[in-house]
Amino acid sequence: MKKSFSFPIIFMVILTAFFTFILAFLNYSTADKISFNKELELNKKLLYIFDITPSSGEPDEISQAFMDNIGSIPFDDEPLYVHHGENEEVLGYAVPINGSGLWGSIEGFVGISSDYSTILGLDFTSHSETPGLGGRISEEWFREQFRGIDITAAKNGEYIIYKPASGGNVDAIAGATLTSKSVSNFVNDDIYNFIRLRKGE
Amino acid sequence: MMKGDSPKKIFMMGIWKDNPVLVQIIGICSALAVTNLMLNSLIMGVGLMFVTAFSSFTVSLIRTFTPKHIRMMVQVLIIAAYVIIVDIFLQAYMPEMSKALGPYVGLIITNCIIMGRAEAYAQKNPPIASFLDGLASGLGYTIVLLIIAFIRELMGFGSIFGIPVLGEWWTPWTIMIMPPAAFFILAVVIWVTKNIQDKEKDEKKGEVVSS
Repeated sequence: MKKSFSFPIIFMVILTAFFTFILAFLNYSTADKISFNKELELNKKLLYIFDITPSSGEPDEISQAFMDNIGSIPFDDEPLYVHHGENEEVLGYAVPINGSGLWGSIEGFVGISSDYSTILGLDFTSHSETPGLGGRISEEWFREQFRGIDITAAKNGEYIIYKPASGGNVDAIAGATLTSKSVSNFVNDDIYNFIRLRKGE
Repeated sequence: MMKGDSPKKIFMMGIWKDNPVLVQIIGICSALAVTNLMLNSLIMGVGLMFVTAFSSFTVSLIRTFTPKHIRMMVQVLIIAAYVIIVDIFLQAYMPEMSKALGPYVGLIITNCIIMGRAEAYAQKNPPIASFLDGLASGLGYTIVLLIIAFIRELMGFGSIFGIPVLGEWWTPWTIMIMPPAAFFILAVVIWVTKNIQDKEKDEKKGEVVSS
């Protein structure tokens, strides 16, 4: 084997450059497709929050349903997704929610009706909770619980309360106490702040 | 290690006699993690087969030029590159799968099987044989994952590849889809394999079994 000092360095540099080039090319050629997939994913989640079912799972149908039902309005210097009816009247807001879970930040949206009386639905866009435990927040049974919760009677910004506490409306995840706790905390905080800001306008 | 390069022998070793999970007890982390659904296991296995086969091929291709003392750096670089290719491919063409597997795709790189094959085989053997060796080890891994996932999904969800096969009467065993089940089913599978392999050895008494 060669014992020179420079050969291993040159070898490594060439090899690294070669693989970097291949990966850069692949990344470049699939970037559009991947961003399209991500957008579609987001569209699906927003449709889910407002309980709108596209006529089929085809990407075209989902995009169409999204364009027909969901728009965005400027709010607090950022676009806010809203569900609008046939005459462009606002039916609900998709309030961005985020907070820290057990392992990392959790992000998502919660739908609030335009009169701030009902939670329409909830979905998460990203989280890194333990699969099978905290990760179950993204399972359907958990998310479905957030459909149509009446929040007019809520006091002190306690919109989501886990059963069996009095006034409880949602089941927490067994074995994932920290994740559940954190989800209810940031969902409540974000809804509270959102409603306060909106009403303060 | 293996001397013969005939495809039959390579596959015999990778899948049965020297199965990475059952005999070498490597690649256990992912075997425990993804086996609650058969589809996840299959995609994970295919991903690993791809990465192991191609990285072994590449390592073997440049083995005569690679300075010995930096070979591990080179191997890691090659493996990482292929894992990223798999990740990009899944994100672009199978977004659902990419989401289901999530962090596990990135974790293929830490799978000991790939580097194990690169070190133990590809470093000393020609490219085609190395490619087959990687493929065989990946296949051995995939088969074990599928066996475990079959038991877990069937008992945990009453389905196979997401298709319900056990009727309404079946009460799903929640523990089967939880992490503990992976541990004891893997242990049972290893136990059964060990018994069969020991019996095989007894029958061949006198012969030297290469391992």
